[in-house]
Amino acid sequence: MLRMQNIRKIFKTEMVETHALRDFNLEVEEGDFVAVTGPSGSGKTTFLNVAGLLETFDGGDYLLDGQSVKGMNDTQLARLRNEKIGFIFQSFNLLPDLNLFDNVDVPLRYRGFKAAERKRRIEEALEVVGLASRMKHLPAQLSGGQQQRVAIARALAGRPRFLLADEPTGNLDSQMATSVLDLMQEINNQGTTIIMVTHDPMLAKRASRNIFVRDGQVSEVGKEDDIVELLHKTAQVG
Amino acid sequence: MSELGPIFRALLRNKVGAFLLALQIALTMTIMVNAIHMIENRSSMMARPSGLDEANQFYLSSNGYAENFNERAVVEEDLRNIRALPGIVDVTQINAIPLSGGGWSMGLQTETGEDKPSVGVAVYFVDDHGIDAFGVNLIAGENFSPTEITYRQRNEQGWPQNIIVTEAMAKELFPDLTPAQVIGKTTYIGGDEPMTITGVIDQLQAPWVGWSGVERVMLVPQRTEFRSSRYFIRTEPGQRDRMMKEVEEMLVAEDRGRLIRNVRTMEETRDDSYRSYSALQTILWIIVIILTIITALGIVGMVTFSVNRRRKQIGTRRALGASRFDIMKHFMLENFLVTSVGLLLGVGSSIALNIWLVDAFSLPRIGWYYIPVAMVILWLVGQAAVFGPARKASQISPALATRTA
Ligand SMILES: Nc1ncnc2c1ncn2[C@@H]1O[C@H](COP(=O)(O)OP(=O)(O)OP(=O)(O)O)[C@@H](O)[C@H]1O
Ligand SMILES: [Mg+2]
Repeated sequence: MLRMQNIRKIFKTEMVETHALRDFNLEVEEGDFVAVTGPSGSGKTTFLNVAGLLETFDGGDYLLDGQSVKGMNDTQLARLRNEKIGFIFQSFNLLPDLNLFDNVDVPLRYRGFKAAERKRRIEEALEVVGLASRMKHLPAQLSGGQQQRVAIARALAGRPRFLLADEPTGNLDSQMATSVLDLMQEINNQGTTIIMVTHDPMLAKRASRNIFVRDGQVSEVGKEDDIVELLHKTAQVG
Repeated sequence: MSELGPIFRALLRNKVGAFLLALQIALTMTIMVNAIHMIENRSSMMARPSGLDEANQFYLSSNGYAENFNERAVVEEDLRNIRALPGIVDVTQINAIPLSGGGWSMGLQTETGEDKPSVGVAVYFVDDHGIDAFGVNLIAGENFSPTEITYRQRNEQGWPQNIIVTEAMAKELFPDLTPAQVIGKTTYIGGDEPMTITGVIDQLQAPWVGWSGVERVMLVPQRTEFRSSRYFIRTEPGQRDRMMKEVEEMLVAEDRGRLIRNVRTMEETRDDSYRSYSALQTILWIIVIILTIITALGIVGMVTFSVNRRRKQIGTRRALGASRFDIMKHFMLENFLVTSVGLLLGVGSSIALNIWLVDAFSLPRIGWYYIPVAMVILWLVGQAAVFGPARKASQISPALATRTA
């Protein structure tokens, strides 16, 4: 489904080379809900960006849906992102000048769907996140939790196989965080594979699978692992 | 084009900046249309034929200073001598030079009486060699005969019997008659002194190029005895420069109590007369070009600013599946919309300014095609200006969606 083999990612600046991912190996099965934790700077976002085709990598191989993405050009990657991947960002990343309808519409237009099809999908997606009645509102008129729900609707409207989320609850209070996570769990139950980076072990605990990233490498954490230990590990560096 | 809807709605939420740019584009179009119209108007005025054989013509002035200066004898001998030179087509004494800016005008009318309408006309006193020296064509009637040429004194009030007029003058006096039918008609000068039209020439311009009646000219069969006169000389093709020297040398060779001055070609005279026209054209071109550049830079500035402000939004769009081309298209379309609004405003203001210019300076109306041509030019300028910043926007990494706060 999603397989990374010995992925390397190096950021070069004039002074330093940062090995953000080194021999990063991971296999994610269809329908998984993977929570990624780890100290700050350990490479979580880098991993997610590579997985989501937002960044290229310097070595190793990455198969998305059984297809190697190595050597694909920018247009092919954009197309693949558009069709297979939905993104949820920490700061929601709604387009402030577009109302909710137009926001959810963005990936569908790039997909080239006809107007009627787009309208149906937008309404359906906003329905799922409970904001269908506010279609004409601007993002600024919503609370943070509501904005993140719109972002989820936007990610879902294209019916992607993967939902990638970098700290989706990082800007939300715990009550809103819980409701967003409830929503994500529901989406996962419908069959969408989710990979979520989080700093919050309590939320990570709700995922079906936990991985821990440190120094650009993966170490698996079993479901039964002590939450306290996880907290401890995260606190060490984070 | 499917993007137009949301781009337009988003623009409406950032009205002020977009509207100011649209206004600038409208202003540019207004000035562009009207300035180019004025430029073309001046060009067409400069392109009007004078009727003369300008490339082969020059003139000079001869001013008597001596007590015993015998003008009649000198002029007649001069004209004979000049005409005898090989390379000369013909020469006439004349009171004023076409296109030169200085000359005589009178009013002619078809009915007697001070209160009757009269038509302004430029007056050239020439002899029977006038038509030939000008290089104009007689299209009806006859040239003056050598015997009817008289001498005119400085303060003389009366007029000779016969005149030749241009076709334009004949039409103005007798709108319904052909040139042939005008021959023999009587017109009145100074209110009630009759003159008979004995010839019509096709075309000849007055001394004043800015005058609306520049085509209205009459030839009067007289030589002037004003102690200062001009000779208007036409040479064989290509002989002008040589003949200028030769004629001048010949005339100054013998001391006849006069000075030869101001030997000039018709081409210089035309250039002088239209110098303010070409200066105006240059200034207008500079204004149009500078304004267009400023507008283009304004677009570059605004798009650059908006790209920098929206880097994260662009990254997000890229993350959501926009290709580089989609991002470019986004900014090009946005600019197209702003430019279009500006150009639509510009159509109105261009026409409004033209109507005012027509009223205030009796400039002609703009041709309809100015509007679409200016629109296309400014659309292209807009798209060219937006290209660079849009390309930079398209290079923004999709990773920016997750990498910025
Ligand atoms: N564009 C970049 N240029 C240079 N170095 C970078 C760049 N992006 C990330 N890095 C470096 O790569 C390493 C991994 O960064 P990454 O953002 O993946 O960490 P993270 O686990 O997401 O951290 P956090 O929990 O703070 O978000 C860090 O050392 C970081 O400084
Ligand atoms: Mg991160």
